[in-house]
Amino acid sequence: MTSVKTYTIIYVILLALGTGKFLFFTFDFGYATAMGGTMLLAVIKSLLIAGYYQHLVDEPRSISYMMLVAVFMVFLLVIAAGYSIQ
Amino acid sequence: MSDLPPKRSLKRWLVTTNHKDVGILYLTTSLVFLLLGGILALIFRAHLWESGGTGLLSGNEFNQSVTTHGLVMVFWFLSPIATGFANYLVPLQIGAKDLAFPRLNALSYWLYLFSGVLLFISFFQGGSWSGGWTIYAPLNVPMYTPGAVIEASVGGTMAIIALMMFVISITMGTINFLTTIHRQRAEGLGLWNMPLFTWSWLLTVWMMLFAFAALFAALIMLTIDRVMLTQYFATDQGSGLLWAHLFWFFGHPEVYIVFFPALGIMFETFQTFCGRRLVGRKWVIISMILVAVQSFLVWMHHMFLTTINLEVKTLFMATTIGISLPFDLMVFALIYTMVKGRVRFTTPFLFSLGALVLFILGGITGVFLGAVVLDYEFRGTYWVVAHFHYVMVSGVTALVGGLYYWWPKISGRMYHEFTGKLHFAAYFIGFNLLYFPMFLTWETPRRVFHYSGGDLIWHQMATIGAFVFGFSFLIMFANFAWSLIWGPKAPDNPWKYSRTAEWAIPSPPPLDNWPGRPSYASGTLEFVEETSAHPAGAATDGGTAATDGGTATVDATVSESTGASGDEHAHEGEHADHASIWPFMIGLGTFIMFLGMSGMTGVVVELMSDQIAAHLGTEDVSSNVNADQILGFADMNYVYLTFFLGGIGFLSYSLFMFGKEQFNAPEMEVAERWPFEGVGNTKFGVWVFLASDVIVFGAVIGAYLFMRIWAGWFTFEPIPDYTWAGLLNTYILLTSSFTVILALVMAERSNKKGLMACLGATIMLGLAFMAVKAWEWGGKFAQGDYWFSGLEYSLYYVTTGLHALHVIFGLLVGGFMLYRIYTIDAYLEDERPVEFFGLYWHFVDIVWVILFPLFYLM
Repeated sequence: MTSVKTYTIIYVILLALGTGKFLFFTFDFGYATAMGGTMLLAVIKSLLIAGYYQHLVDEPRSISYMMLVAVFMVFLLVIAAGYSIQ
Repeated sequence: MSDLPPKRSLKRWLVTTNHKDVGILYLTTSLVFLLLGGILALIFRAHLWESGGTGLLSGNEFNQSVTTHGLVMVFWFLSPIATGFANYLVPLQIGAKDLAFPRLNALSYWLYLFSGVLLFISFFQGGSWSGGWTIYAPLNVPMYTPGAVIEASVGGTMAIIALMMFVISITMGTINFLTTIHRQRAEGLGLWNMPLFTWSWLLTVWMMLFAFAALFAALIMLTIDRVMLTQYFATDQGSGLLWAHLFWFFGHPEVYIVFFPALGIMFETFQTFCGRRLVGRKWVIISMILVAVQSFLVWMHHMFLTTINLEVKTLFMATTIGISLPFDLMVFALIYTMVKGRVRFTTPFLFSLGALVLFILGGITGVFLGAVVLDYEFRGTYWVVAHFHYVMVSGVTALVGGLYYWWPKISGRMYHEFTGKLHFAAYFIGFNLLYFPMFLTWETPRRVFHYSGGDLIWHQMATIGAFVFGFSFLIMFANFAWSLIWGPKAPDNPWKYSRTAEWAIPSPPPLDNWPGRPSYASGTLEFVEETSAHPAGAATDGGTAATDGGTATVDATVSESTGASGDEHAHEGEHADHASIWPFMIGLGTFIMFLGMSGMTGVVVELMSDQIAAHLGTEDVSSNVNADQILGFADMNYVYLTFFLGGIGFLSYSLFMFGKEQFNAPEMEVAERWPFEGVGNTKFGVWVFLASDVIVFGAVIGAYLFMRIWAGWFTFEPIPDYTWAGLLNTYILLTSSFTVILALVMAERSNKKGLMACLGATIMLGLAFMAVKAWEWGGKFAQGDYWFSGLEYSLYYVTTGLHALHVIFGLLVGGFMLYRIYTIDAYLEDERPVEFFGLYWHFVDIVWVILFPLFYLM
């Protein structure tokens, strides 16, 4: 198990990244950059929460793979469905 | 509450959580639904005796019969009968004493039973759902089914809700079986050596996990459309395609979900009655895995006639034809097993062989539909009906074979062999007489009783076949009834060459399954005396069943073991509980709540009538929506409202009591767990649940993305007025994630005050999140922006609302835990429940991390 100190550091990083997402759209970065940047920050935040708060870094890899398969299924559905109407 | 009443008492069946009892409940209930679905089919087949219909049914009644027949057979018969077999046999085949979560198993059953009752209640609410079992949009929303059907909207909504409740049951079962098969296998039983029925079921539940979650998401959106008047499936802006994508992303794997258990039974029976291990066993398993993966890559072949582009159609044609290859291997493996073995034509084998023949015919005719050009010709005709039934009823045939195969094990008595063969003859002739003519009438549109006069003879043959086919089941029931009363007692193993573990114990098996601990460590099944000092002690009187079928000798399977009661456990305090009333009560509470929900549309319309009228007065309204039709719903039905609120109350109480109840389901100390060693059963179960929730949320968020792509990305603006409110809620949720992880630290340190403070802070933050949300929604309502104001509004309110509902569930669980800490010092010695709660809470946090940019920034 990870220490309180690590949890606190992660928490501060999460708050900063949350603010970062907001800043992307507050200042003019251009829509594509802002969108890409925010989604990247969202992914990093998700990984930090899953990895450390949900302890996926300490669990067997198979759990992470199972969750990745679930995420992959969502991407498969959304990307294929989105492509089908192009 | 561990004493289990005797089997002759009704109470036994209400409180049991034992996997064999639940298996019997599933089997019998699914057979009742088979009869009900069959009667519906006979009624509409009789109606089809003449071109244009005999007048037996009205048009709408015909549609209801066809639709409900399809829904019942696919959902309430085919999947559950397989679940019944799995419940009874999977723990026996893998050497477990029960499923990982016995109470959850009972709960799955009760939700299944009550969902089926709801479906049939829908007939008495002005008429059931009549739009086909595929529930295609936009016909699935009330405003598109005007006239007489609008009166039936309550019954239609009920059918949708019944299906949603069924999916909840399936999800619980999935979590339970995945945990059981991955973490409860006897020592020495590696995955490769698992019996083939268990293999087929393992892959079935993996497919179920992902496929049914997509259906669940679609049904949530549809139910909200029907009850709250949101517009997911009501627009001409991609609604039809959105439903088709979600439905078939579930619906195609569903074909294999219902067929795989049947395939597993075919493998088992072929091995037993050919006296030979399945040819190419390893390759068969690999093929099954391939099919399970590929099943998710072919869903758009159901959509060749929609406006999806030609490139994607071509791609999906290739993947569809590709999926037939691993099936070819399985078919040839079965044929070669017959060639290389010595076949004994018993009743179970005849049904399995019949299933193989039907599957080959169904498979070949399916290749026609997989080709885009041919599909243009065949889609929506009786060719599809025939192909579909050849495949699905092939599965039914093998499952009936399974009923005969395991009947002696489950009932303890033999069936009548000649009557069984007579059943097969009537069944097989009746089936082919029913469905083969449909290939010949392929120009007849399906779901229509006005067929060409030239096809009359084929349709009449089919109707005669339907009655022969239906009658054949009466022979089966008569046979089983005879067996129960007069049948000779079954030996432990009535089949010479069967070698899976269930045949090594008495028929029927004792409550706790095994005399001691089953182990395959030596390569064959042994029952090890359980002593804490020597967990791998000497073998007792076990049989010599191999892990799976093989070239067994005749006497290699006989077990001398006698039923030993679970009281022989060496470990003090590890006595398993078997009885709980709360799964039944939770099922009943959910039933009452959903019964009420089906009639809530009228309540919502009446409460919101001014706003709806104002909204319908604007020019934004789709021309398809008629103000009179919508407001025609307005009917404050206090009966439904009472059921809904009373059901929530009853359900909450039952859940509370379920949470409080002491119930012990011991985890196996020695077990094969690859690849999920190192996590506890419950934690693994929570992760499996979260994986399914990823799909549910993913599909709902995906619906937003799909609709936005359809509309043109930049035509959507963020709906919330204030981005900072979303940012504030992001901070609040992140902080609550931090406090919940601190709660875990406090629990680990057995610090009661700290734990209560951190958990309390989490709950306060959750409430603050809901307050900000309420303020945000209140502001929108004040401006006249409601969930029915347009598609973008529906997407915003439902997606963030679903997230808020997750927060509310979390708050309820968190509140319950706080109460437990305060009253009984819970979690101070065993902090794991706090961790499990945290896993859920962090997941909800992660979803918000995705929702915030999508709905507030972009």
